Amino acid sequence: MKDPKSTRKHPHADRARSRVTRRALLSTAAASVAVPTLLDAVLSGQGTLYAATPSTTVNIEIDAGQNENPFRWKASEVKARWGFGINLIGLPFVGQYEKLVSELTARSTAYDVLVFPPYFLGDFVALNFLRDLDQFKGLGDPQLADYLPAYRDPVIKRNGKTYALMYDGDLLQVTYRKDLFEDPKERAAFKSKYGHDLAPPKTWDEYMEIAEFFHRPPNLYGTAFYAARGFCYAWFINIFAGLGGKWFEADMTPGINSEIGVRALTLLVKMKNFAPPNILQIDYPGLNAVFLNGSTAMVVQWDDLALKVENPAMSKVVGKGGYAPCPVRSYMPYSRVMAVSAFSKNPENAYRLAWYMQLPKVSVTYVYDPECGEDPYRYSHLKYDAVKNHLGKPTMSPAAARNYVDAIREGLKAGYPELSIPGAPRYLDILDLYVNQALAGALSPKAALDAAAREWKSITQAEDPGRQKAAYAAWIDAFRKAGIQY
Amino acid sequence: MREDTGRRERGEGPSGPSPLRSSPGPASRRHLLSAQRRFGWWLLLPSLIMLAANSIFPLLYAVGVSTKAYQMLIPGPRRFVGLANYIQALQDPLVWHSLAVTLYFVGGVLVLQFPAGLGLALLLHRLPRRQELVATLLLIPTILSASVVGFQWVQLYNYEFGPLNYLLALLHLGQPTWTADPHLALPALIFVDFWEWTPFMTLLLFAGLRSLPPQIVDAARVDGSTPWQVVWRVFLPLLRPIIGIALILRIIMAFKLFDIVYVLTAGGPGIATESLAFYTYIQGFRYFNMGYASALSILQLILITILAKLLLRLTRRPPIGGFIPQEAPL
Repeated sequence: MKDPKSTRKHPHADRARSRVTRRALLSTAAASVAVPTLLDAVLSGQGTLYAATPSTTVNIEIDAGQNENPFRWKASEVKARWGFGINLIGLPFVGQYEKLVSELTARSTAYDVLVFPPYFLGDFVALNFLRDLDQFKGLGDPQLADYLPAYRDPVIKRNGKTYALMYDGDLLQVTYRKDLFEDPKERAAFKSKYGHDLAPPKTWDEYMEIAEFFHRPPNLYGTAFYAARGFCYAWFINIFAGLGGKWFEADMTPGINSEIGVRALTLLVKMKNFAPPNILQIDYPGLNAVFLNGSTAMVVQWDDLALKVENPAMSKVVGKGGYAPCPVRSYMPYSRVMAVSAFSKNPENAYRLAWYMQLPKVSVTYVYDPECGEDPYRYSHLKYDAVKNHLGKPTMSPAAARNYVDAIREGLKAGYPELSIPGAPRYLDILDLYVNQALAGALSPKAALDAAAREWKSITQAEDPGRQKAAYAAWIDAFRKAGIQY
Repeated sequence: MREDTGRRERGEGPSGPSPLRSSPGPASRRHLLSAQRRFGWWLLLPSLIMLAANSIFPLLYAVGVSTKAYQMLIPGPRRFVGLANYIQALQDPLVWHSLAVTLYFVGGVLVLQFPAGLGLALLLHRLPRRQELVATLLLIPTILSASVVGFQWVQLYNYEFGPLNYLLALLHLGQPTWTADPHLALPALIFVDFWEWTPFMTLLLFAGLRSLPPQIVDAARVDGSTPWQVVWRVFLPLLRPIIGIALILRIIMAFKLFDIVYVLTAGGPGIATESLAFYTYIQGFRYFNMGYASALSILQLILITILAKLLLRLTRRPPIGGFIPQEAPL
């Protein structure tokens, strides 16, 4: 039984409760503001951490996998020399561009050294993501005179300023089964069928003949190429270049859907007939695998495949590899450069690391190592006795090394540059998409290239046609000055 | 329940005003109610702020961005273009293609998952014991992360070394190039989703079956219903709300198809598996065409909302032809 008067207290009691609750509410509100703020400070405060310890760690962004290895091999030397450690941050090979742009647009301080393909450079310079490296030259001379011209000004410079240093000089190369090509029975059979000797192809028609000749599924496939989404465009451009195609006309009309372009893509689509059935799934490791397991007679692949062919731990065809430049011209897709992030809190050490990694005596120890994917980019690299791993052990026989280095030299003489103007990643991705559609049989080569060209025009329009025209002309000019025909 | 709370607020017992309490006057009651209401709003405030910050503001911001020509990689101001991005989307053949891919996927997933999920739920319901253990084991594919599922199926679909092709080769059924064949790639993805999410459907339907009073089934059996009639005329009508929820959830999840596309096919071969969500991602995060990507996102939101509304309306209809009344006096 309750005292009836007690009911009068209820409103006050409620108010009292409500006052206490309000106080609690305010505390909760304060906490709800403070906790995210603190969290934000912790999460976004990596830069602060780096700033507090500027000389202890240099953070390197790079596509994850074998290409991280040279930094690992040199980490102790760097530590002994300057006292800072390195922290490798591996990003996916396909998808690196979007991740970097997203983060650097948000002014991420997570990276000091950025390792990326030079076709990102146009965008990255335009968006002010990179530091001009000329300001750091006092810390060390990068010895650019030793760079092969194709990898110097057109690749690492923009508007007369140096924004990057080389890490990897890429080039497509023909790798073939020398044992099959030198087999007297095969040679006789080939000559009787095609009326000329079996030899590394000098034209794309010869390439198709050889691919057709050796196509004996399921034991041996004539050829294979990178047909998966991501880089299949490069295998199209490699043929396109050999047939005399150009990225754009001087007025920025796309050249890809020209007669030459359609012919090149038609050839690539036809090449599927002489390739493994899962060709549309074949990417970089897949392409290496089909040659290294001995199931394919000839491939076009990045030149580091040769190092893997001659490595018994990786290959079933050791000593059976032959190397030659691509027919007519060799496309130079990808490559890697090292740049210093504009948002790095540790730019001097970042430059020191990049500078050290590309020095002739340092870089020569990794550009011929089968455990990484880096390839020569200096004159001083192109020596037969330089073909050794990072421990100084020869990675192939002297004859194979001679064949390999000669093939690189010949390929570079007729190197075909990768598009590297503002918007290049988008131009290339669109091209890749439509080349892949043609390979998948969804579109004819002409329809695919016409569609890609339409999209290229809209990219040019969005970027500003006048600016694109000037950037393209400057880029071509840099290549011509480097002695590359275009 | 509400009635009872009202009584408490008025100082009434379960069967009317308490003779021992004097009820407060109208002014005092109004004051009390208004204080309580204010207090209620204070309690709601943090949630409202969080909701506004997490959902409403980003949504409104996305709507705003969708009306602008905003390309993140091209320096310059964001120009207001009204509905131009939406018009461009409606005229973009790749949008229609990716919508067709998405609808094909959603349709394929539902056609496979619903009967399989229902069948498994009925089997589970009939298990005399260990129902929870079996249900937990069934759930394993659902609780795996998308990247793990993707990795598993990359191996399983591998042309050369995949166990699937190995078994098919043993049976002389050929070796399909699953995710590399433009005609097989999307069905291959549907099968992955079927494997991953059917247990989820099973669990929802099983929970629905368990909530049904057993007397209803007993009564139907006493009345001479066959097992098929019990399923068709008792379970299905009574499960309609839960079926609706399950289908809506799966439609929404399948419509957002992204993760397994990203991991397994990257939209390829060509654009054979490029879903609307994946195409939006490409526009937004590969080409950084933020205005257009926002417009695509808003269009997807509208589409999913319409689909969900339609489905909800369909499943809210009273059961037709069911012989069990809603308030059966069993």
